[in-house]
This record gives sequence, structure tokens and C-alpha cells, in this order.
Amino acid sequence: MEGITEMTNWAVDLIDVRKTYSKRIEALRGVNVQVKRGEIFGLLGPNGAGKTTLVKIMMTIVRPTHVLGTILGRPIGHRGKLARIGYLPESHRFPPYLTGAQLLDYYAALARVPRATRRKNVDRLLDRVWLAQWGGTRIDKYSKGMLQRLGIAQALMNDPELLVLDEPTDGLDPVGRRDVRELLLELRDKGTTIFLNSHLLSELEMVCDRVAILVDGLVARQGTLSELTEHTVEYRIKVHGDLLPVVDKLKALEAELDGTIISLAGHDAAKVNAVIDVLRGANVLIEAIEPHRFSLEDILVEVVGGGARVAHPVGTQDAG
Amino acid sequence: MQLWALIVDSFRESLDRKIFWVMAVISILIAATMCCIGFEPGKIVLFFGMWEFDTDLFTTMVNGQAVIRTDRIATLAVHYIMDLTIGWGGVALAIIATAGFFPAFIERGSIDVVLSKPMARWRVFLGKYIGSMVFVFVQACLFVLLTFVVIGIRWGCWIPGYLLTVPLVLLLFSYLYCVSVWVAVYFRSTVAAVLLTLGAWFVFSGVQTTASLFDTYPSWQDNRTAYVAFRTAKWVLPKTHDITYLAAKWSGAGTSDELLPEPDVPDDDMETINRAAEVEREYMKVNPLLTIGSSLLFEAVVIMLAMWRFSRTDY
Repeated sequence: MEGITEMTNWAVDLIDVRKTYSKRIEALRGVNVQVKRGEIFGLLGPNGAGKTTLVKIMMTIVRPTHVLGTILGRPIGHRGKLARIGYLPESHRFPPYLTGAQLLDYYAALARVPRATRRKNVDRLLDRVWLAQWGGTRIDKYSKGMLQRLGIAQALMNDPELLVLDEPTDGLDPVGRRDVRELLLELRDKGTTIFLNSHLLSELEMVCDRVAILVDGLVARQGTLSELTEHTVEYRIKVHGDLLPVVDKLKALEAELDGTIISLAGHDAAKVNAVIDVLRGANVLIEAIEPHRFSLEDILVEVVGGGARVAHPVGTQDAG
Repeated sequence: MQLWALIVDSFRESLDRKIFWVMAVISILIAATMCCIGFEPGKIVLFFGMWEFDTDLFTTMVNGQAVIRTDRIATLAVHYIMDLTIGWGGVALAIIATAGFFPAFIERGSIDVVLSKPMARWRVFLGKYIGSMVFVFVQACLFVLLTFVVIGIRWGCWIPGYLLTVPLVLLLFSYLYCVSVWVAVYFRSTVAAVLLTLGAWFVFSGVQTTASLFDTYPSWQDNRTAYVAFRTAKWVLPKTHDITYLAAKWSGAGTSDELLPEPDVPDDDMETINRAAEVEREYMKVNPLLTIGSSLLFEAVVIMLAMWRFSRTDY
């Protein structure tokens, strides 16, 4: 069974992850998450959904109430596999008395990276995160963005198979965020699996292959961005003119009117053309026609709706 | 490799503390002050001859020649220099300085990365615990070595046994630091760690002092319950006073009262004073294995409790 698990494509295969705090608060209520090897996977959700709890369970910082499944083919907490995982927590506090190079060396030593490899990786990674000039400086002199980049470098010191990043672009300016995105794509292309937890949905949209939306301790949606937004595809036609004479005809074609915007759900080109014919027949000026797909933010808002945003008390019913 | 990394990290953390350097400077100043004191047969010389005081306290006759009494020098070194400075003051400062190590270590955002590494939690705990004692080890080495050299060169007495005060001071600190760490793991507060550790030291010391008073005043033993309670407590709790007794024993020192002038008191009080000195001499014959072993047993239990808590906590 273990051999079969090793051979699967799942870098992360979590089944029925549950976590209850103080026998009262259910932070996770049976989460199932699968991450393919070599992909960038995003985890998103509102505050209090359980994202950080799930990540901490993966990294053995928090003990689950119940969990089945594997990470890199081994049960969660397997020491050998932890050595192959790189992790950057949210709101990290690094020892301020260390220099950048000392910090990288320290955490790499804890990850059982041999000394010779550590020496090589320190220089290489400091350069990779644009901190080559700062390796000998104490990190209490670093800016927030520099600390974040150092944190990413720290997570890469053991050349991980799986990289788990909690808010990796926190504190970075737009240029820094772009650089991190490029780094993540580069790592993915080299075969590293990346698990991202982020509030910056636009960032996730740009890099993630698949995402999961966590709400109230449960996965509400999971899949590729295309799969999640497939049902949200529509055409939007911006017009100028009086639509009153043709309202009934447009409604018959299942078009929705919102001021000067006409929306048509789905991607049926024939229906779009029928609407265009109606509009042109009424001498309505068509200013623009564009396909529209919900963003990740739109999906998240749709999923969350007006439901509760805190961890679920034990015994209460599902929200939404 | 992993344990060594934790120890090195703790050493760097020690160097970052201002109090580390303050204590180092104090050690140097004490050694410098000792340099200004000289012992010659029949007198004490201050500031290289600027003042002289006639006294036979540190002198004895051997084959018709006046020589310096090594045991009296050792008594001065152990009871009045080592004990009062690094034994009490130094350890107290070290408790205060190191009390923040564990709370900072297990702070959210700090402990996360460490616990994500392939290292069992009990090893993380032990690595940090041992590493934190580097602070005291370095300070003890500095103080003892400096004063050892001064005593040898300036006072003319080389006392090899005096060097054993380094591990003894480390032991004393460890008896107390285990309490500090236990408080830190359970309450995650530096202030609580300082206050409760110093309070525990007061209790350990108080129990030992009271137990010795039962030997000084035999009539107290008539209260069997109190006597048994204090004797039992003395053996269960760490024996902080025994560190001084062992240091004195291994340095060839005498009792602490030998350097004090004989007080002008009634005979009954003199009898009590003599009995107290006799009790101290008996305590200096303490079995090191027994006293250290039983104290380390207490320390082991406290550490195990802290380690268990650390291993079971969600961070």
C-alpha cells in the first residue's frame, strides 16, 4: 500500500482532516485536499476559515484531531519527508541577532542539510532573492520586504520537493511580488510542488494551477481556475440608446439588463448574435462586446455569501 | 548537526544580550580588584604597597618559615568571592538574562519554522535547554579562570580544585533554570519565569537553611513532624547550598567563619556559633554523588514535565 502511495501523483493527499480546539471549536470539519506533484496549488478562504490551521497540521506544528492521507507519499510528520519540505509561515519572527547568512545556515542545519550544501546554497539563494549584499548584516536591520525574501530563501535551503508558503508576498512591493511569482513559476517548471496560502487572490490567479476554497472548516470548491469559473462565463454587451422597445425580445433571449450593460450567461455565440440582431434592428448603438469570466474574488464572495466567518462551534449545523 | 545548530544559535543569542557583556566586564573588574590585593607573610598589601595591614590570618609557620595559608586563601576565594559574586549575584543575573530565551523561542512565528523541521520535539527542547546554559558556562569559565590566575600569580596560591567551581556553578544554574523553563513553557511569560524561579530559589535555600538549623539547635528536633518534613523536603528539592560546600571541599577551603574575627558574645552564644561551624564542616563532607544525583533527579522531573508540555502543545 505504501509503495502504491509513493507512486501516486499526489504530493499532498489529505483526507478528512479535522481539528477541534478545547473540545469546543471545530476549526476543520473534514477537509479533503489533493495537490498534484509539480503543480502550484492555492488555498484561499475568508478569515477564520481554517487555512493556517490546515497548513500547520501539514507541517506538524498543530496536531490534528483526525487525519488520513499522506504528504509526499508518507504519513504526515514523517521525518524523512519533512526534510524534503520547505515552509514559510505567516507573520514569521526570525531571531534578530542573526545575519541573513547565519539564519539560512541555521534553519538548513535543522533541516539536516549537509554543511557543504548549506555553504553553497546560502550564497546562491541570497543572490536569488536579491539579498547578496545583505548576507552579513543582522536581520534586525532588514526591511519587511527583505525579511520576506529571506524567509522564502530559508524555505528553499533544502531544495524541497514541496514548498509550503503562507502569505509569501506579504510586505512585498509590486515589483517584489512579481519577482516572487516568477520564482514560483521557475520552481514549478523544475518540478517543485508549491502549496500557497494567500489573501491576494489576484496573485493566486496568476500562478496557481488549481485552488481550493476553504469556508468554515470545509472545502467549498476545489479545482482548476477554469473549472471553478466555467459556470460564470458570460458575454457583456455595452450599448448606448433606448432599450425599452426591445426589452421583451431581449428577455426572451435570456439576456439580463443592467443599465447600459446586457449580460448573456454561457458562451453560446448564436445567442449573442441573436441579441446583436435585435439591437441593430432597434438602431441601438453597440459600444463593446466582451466575454467575461468571474475572478477568483468573485467566486470566493459567491461561495462565502453572507455566511459565518469564524471557526464552527461543535455541534452546530453547516453554514450556508 | 541539529543539536549543534540549536546550541550555536543559543550562544549567539547570549552574545546579543547586553547583560552578557556587563557580567563579563564585572568579572574582569573583580579580577582587577583582586590584583590590587596582595598577601605576604604577616600582612595584607593593598594597591601594590600603598597600604599594608598586619595580620596573621593568612600566615602559618612551616619549618621556621612564615608561609601563606593556602586553605585560608581558598576559603576567601570560595566563600567570599566565588559564592557571593558568581554563586549568588552571577546566577541571579543569569536567571534574569536567560528567562526570556524560551518564551521568545516558542513565540508564534518563531517556533513554527523550527517545528516544521525533521526533528523530534523533545530534541528541539533539549537542544534549546542545553544551548541556553552556554550563557552561564561562558561566564563561569571567564570568572573562574581569571580569578584562578590572579590567585595563583598575585596571591601565590595555585588551587587546581578551584577550577571545578565551573561545573558546580553550571549545576547550580541548571537546578534553577529547569524551573524557569517549566514556567516559560506553561505560561509563556518572561516575567513569570524570573519571579517564580527566584521564588523557587528562595524556597530551596530556605528549606536547606532550616534543615541545617535543626542540626544546629538539636532541641528543634523535638518537633518530629517539622523535622521530618524539612529533612524530606531538603532531599527532594535541589540542594543549592551544597554547591558551595563541594566547591570548598574540592578547593581545600575551610568554613566561612574562619576569616571572621571571634565575636565578643556570651558563652552560650559562642557555643551555638561553634556548633553552627561544626555543622558546616559536616556538610562539607557531603557525598557529591548523593547531593548532585538527588538534585538532578528533581531537575529531570521538572524538565520531563516541561518537555511533555512542549511536545503536546499546538503552536
